[in-house]
Amino acid sequence: MTDGKKTIALLGQPNSGKSTLFNGLTGMKQHVGNWPGKTVEQKQGGFTHNGEEYVVMDLPGTYSLSANSDEEIVTRDFISSGKADVVCILADSSQLERSLFMLSDYAGINVPCFLILNLADVAADQGKTINADKIRSKLGIPVVLMSATDVKKYDNFFAALNEALSKKTTLDISSLEAKYSKLDGFEELKAEIPENLIPGCSSTWMAVKTIEGDKVVRAKIENKLTGDSLVRYNSHAARFDKGALLTGECKFSWIDELLSDSVNKVTQTVKTSKLDKALTNKTWGKTVVVLIVIGGLLLSFIPAIPIMLLGGIFTALAVPVREALTAANASPIVTGIICDVILQSLANIVKMLGFAFGINLVFGMFEESGLMARISYVFDNTMSKMGLQGKSIMPFLVSFGCTIGGASSSRVIDNWNQKVLTIALAWAVPCGAAWAIIPMLAANFFGGYAVLVIIAILLVMLLHIWITAKIFGRKLVKKEDRYGIIMELPPYHKPKWGAMLRFVLGRTKDMFFRVVKVIIPVCLLFWILSYSGGNIEGSLLYKIGKTIEPVTKVFGMNWQLFMAFLASSIGKEGAVGVLTALYSQSGTIYGAVNGTNAAVANSTQLLLSNISGPQALAFMFAITFNVPCVVALAATYQETHSAKWTAIITGYYTLGALIISFIVYHIGLLIM
Amino acid sequence: MKSLNELKQNSEGIVASIDGDARYLSRITSIGITPGCHIKVLKNDKNRPMLVFMRDTMVALNTEESRNIKVETRDNQ
Repeated sequence: MTDGKKTIALLGQPNSGKSTLFNGLTGMKQHVGNWPGKTVEQKQGGFTHNGEEYVVMDLPGTYSLSANSDEEIVTRDFISSGKADVVCILADSSQLERSLFMLSDYAGINVPCFLILNLADVAADQGKTINADKIRSKLGIPVVLMSATDVKKYDNFFAALNEALSKKTTLDISSLEAKYSKLDGFEELKAEIPENLIPGCSSTWMAVKTIEGDKVVRAKIENKLTGDSLVRYNSHAARFDKGALLTGECKFSWIDELLSDSVNKVTQTVKTSKLDKALTNKTWGKTVVVLIVIGGLLLSFIPAIPIMLLGGIFTALAVPVREALTAANASPIVTGIICDVILQSLANIVKMLGFAFGINLVFGMFEESGLMARISYVFDNTMSKMGLQGKSIMPFLVSFGCTIGGASSSRVIDNWNQKVLTIALAWAVPCGAAWAIIPMLAANFFGGYAVLVIIAILLVMLLHIWITAKIFGRKLVKKEDRYGIIMELPPYHKPKWGAMLRFVLGRTKDMFFRVVKVIIPVCLLFWILSYSGGNIEGSLLYKIGKTIEPVTKVFGMNWQLFMAFLASSIGKEGAVGVLTALYSQSGTIYGAVNGTNAAVANSTQLLLSNISGPQALAFMFAITFNVPCVVALAATYQETHSAKWTAIITGYYTLGALIISFIVYHIGLLIM
Repeated sequence: MKSLNELKQNSEGIVASIDGDARYLSRITSIGITPGCHIKVLKNDKNRPMLVFMRDTMVALNTEESRNIKVETRDNQ
């Protein structure tokens, strides 16, 4: 009810096509953030229909309205807060009996609602015929049979929306109440709870939640009741054992009656597809998943590359702009900021967006098609040891290629805390840029022993992930919040590219503004620090590096190495270039990071003669486990929506890299 | 009557009872597993969640937690 706009809340179980409807309704007009004060993602959007403006809240996809998770509590609180004018409840037509559970759990909440029987196309393919009018006559609310993927056919949806809003249609639950009242002690318990004790909730709903052992609802009721009625409430509540089973049976028997004469009973048999056979294979399943993810990563480059090439325009543009500015006698500071900071950053940002766009499109398809749930199943045992869902394996694998992609692909993780933990761990995976320079450096310094360096790096990676999982896991995914998997593996759907494309484009636009806010300031700061006006000694970075050299030497880094280490937080590719620039006294640090310096002859010789073996070894580990790059940092901020956690992860990795460097350096001194 | 996690691949039966704390009971009923419902084991491999089929739905369940679900099987499978 903001500014006279009507607010619609979308409520449905996972795989009910809630996100598809949300994207279909709002298109590009959506905003993703976190619920105020909660670690739960909030998706809000808007649309205009017949001149009326609407706000759409995509409530978290949960299986019920109990207090089992933050997501469910957020959902419930939003509905009872009165902020929604109408609740749109979604069910999956192909699994109607099971997915109507949400409706039965909603029954007793007094906020106007209507029901969408989504995925009508899938149900029709299964030979199911559903009579929406019959269901409607029993429920007393508008019921629409539709496919949210068919964006052009939303007429019935809008008609139902208008009816629900204008008539304030609420669910007729008399037949469900009749079932509850047969439970021994239900009526006595219900009699003690006044209507609307929790706003928007009937006595029936509160009694049901009490029986189910819902601690949050019980606490709220106990808080408001006093004297004898509190004593009676507690004693009636204590009579129920395993209440969720009792109410669950009532709910499902109500659903059965609801569907008895409105859906033809087609007995579904399980058909295990070839893909499922391969994926769930005990021996090969994991290999198949890894291959699929790698395939997805490669596939994501097809839409990504044209956009990434566009980024090159900004790099190319820097040359004539620099010439023009120099010709116009502009100050070197202005020229530097425009060409080196802004244009170069824009080039990197566009490249990143292109990559993230490709990743989100492909992995969004994995999610939409049902493949992601299989991946989650296959890796559940491995990842749950770290408090993560099975699908967290994907960001890890993608991070071997690029941490930006790793962070972006974490979008499919539907729990915010697990998402942040996944990204925090994926940063420890050495990315493509590290793989591009480390083997070469190692071969230059240690010849054939380079293989040992690589193996050591992989072992340190595993150790790093293990330790980081302990440190971050304790705070992010608490022990009491870790429980076994209970997850639906939906039937495979044919993905709809059009709707997905529109949605991912919308998110990419949103992403652009967020990422610019991170990358430009960080690059500007680094540029100012490295700005010298002439030789490198003039820069602040040099002065700082020189001053703290006694400290950095403990970590095995002289000032040159330390500067290159700092520069590697902007981009790892540049680390060697920075060293070359510093030792050859040519080019600029900033230019080295972006690879715009002129090539230096004999650069390998230059490094070998200036850097000792232990120093080189320590440096390789330090840059490998440093912050991946400024763009990955921006991608992390984009996906977590949390400046705090992005800063914590960044600080942790900078410190961690220094500690690793310290240890490696001293081991190096012992063995070399 | 057997615990669900003891059932082999392709065996089926009717859920007789479910144990566990309030949270587990609430989570398991909300995905559709309640006493009286028909359930079929699709996969029960070591070091993997179980895969079961019930109410037209394929569901992955933590094997250890599935000990809580007691199933009446037909022919002593």
